[in-house]
Amino acid sequence: MERTVHAPARRAAALCLCLLLLAGCAGPGAAQSRPAETELFAMDTYMHLRAWGPEAEAALAELSAMLQRLDGQLSVTDPGSEIWAVNHADGAPTALSGDAFTLLSRTLDFCAGTRGALDVTLYPVSRAWGFTTGDYRVPDPEELARLLPLVDCSAVTLDADARTVTLPPGAELDLGAAAKGYAGALAAELLARRGVRAAMLDLGSSTICLTGRKPDGSDWRIAVQDPEDPAAYAGVIACGPGSICTSGGYERYFIAEDGAVCWHILDPSTGRPAKAGLLSVTVLCPDALTGDLLSTALFVMGPERAADWWRAHGGFECILIDENRNILVTEGAADRFTPMGAYTHAELTVIGREE
Amino acid sequence: MQSLRSLAGKNKTWALALAGLLAVLALAAALLARAQGGCVARVYQDGVCIRTVDLSRVREPFRFTVTDAHGHENTVEVEPGRIRVVQANCPDQTCVRTGWIGTGVRPIVCLPARLTIRLEAGAPDVDAVAR
Ligand SMILES: [Zn+2]
Repeated sequence: MERTVHAPARRAAALCLCLLLLAGCAGPGAAQSRPAETELFAMDTYMHLRAWGPEAEAALAELSAMLQRLDGQLSVTDPGSEIWAVNHADGAPTALSGDAFTLLSRTLDFCAGTRGALDVTLYPVSRAWGFTTGDYRVPDPEELARLLPLVDCSAVTLDADARTVTLPPGAELDLGAAAKGYAGALAAELLARRGVRAAMLDLGSSTICLTGRKPDGSDWRIAVQDPEDPAAYAGVIACGPGSICTSGGYERYFIAEDGAVCWHILDPSTGRPAKAGLLSVTVLCPDALTGDLLSTALFVMGPERAADWWRAHGGFECILIDENRNILVTEGAADRFTPMGAYTHAELTVIGREE
Repeated sequence: MQSLRSLAGKNKTWALALAGLLAVLALAAALLARAQGGCVARVYQDGVCIRTVDLSRVREPFRFTVTDAHGHENTVEVEPGRIRVVQANCPDQTCVRTGWIGTGVRPIVCLPARLTIRLEAGAPDVDAVAR
């Protein structure tokens, strides 16, 4: 008899609880699913950090302090930075901190392997184009011819024991293609150390670092911007932990007097905007520094060399959008990428292991 | 026996009434939360929210200009359901090129002016945009 009294009441109570939970999940009241958030301006970009769990708040505070510190060390325009000191040493050796030295030596190793597609000593040329200041201009051929000999990463000398770097007089470093990736790699370590199991660090959209999966256990959904329409997506990638790094001509560009589009990704061999047939490159890679370096290097290489590089080295996946609005995606990312918008019916080529 | 049965019936009625009431409240809360999400734009200057616009309540288009101590000027235009930077004196013009936003997670950012416009997270279609 007692059962007949309580069963409906219990059922009703259970129903209420379910509905309340539903409402809680949809609304802003769900404490558990609400992340700690921080935003900051660092490394010449706007960063948005989100982390979930009891350690999230403290971890993000530590993280933003770290990002500001790295910005101060690695900035190419800040007279107080280590890179500024290196660029103004006039041929003398300059001592570096552990972070700056590690980043520089890893970046130099990578550049050497790309056979000219990426060069960390490109700064005098990108400054001539005004990409560092926003005062855009097209340098004349004589000026470029004078500056190009300074672009040579093999002329950078590192002394691991003294932890110093020496540049030839006139040469200058720019770690722009690497600093955010390095910051992302350090951030991933920090979050792991802190016990944060879910986080999404948007380090200025060109470098996104994912820790774990979304708190509900599902994949992160990261959109790839349509290179020709900033309001649209070319597709969405379902991602687990790792980094997503993108390089595209649309990030920073200006229109020259003759109507030519001049974007900020320069080919170190010509000193001019890299036009190898690609509009954007998105790299999925466990290590954010490698991913960041790769996205720029593959953009300069163009589709064929990029595919060859992937077959030869592996360790990452990529999504390339070419000038004819075709999408090329490496085997391992093909199942995770869904084209959207103007690209819904685009030709999608899967890059396989065999040529 | 008789009294127990009537008690059971009364409990049942109460429980169902309570469940009904809670269900209505829960649904209302969920709908309200969803309706608000993605419709409120917040304008931040150097990380501080300086203006909030409920895009779902905009009837007539309007503009306002945000300035700072360094001479940066961004003119923001608001229409029903969307917002953009229509004019700015920054050298890169990235904020103007971003165009309208009204849904999604993509913010408008003017780096030189340290100005951002973000939509309050409702039920975003994606978690981030790789650019
Ligand atoms: Zn702007």
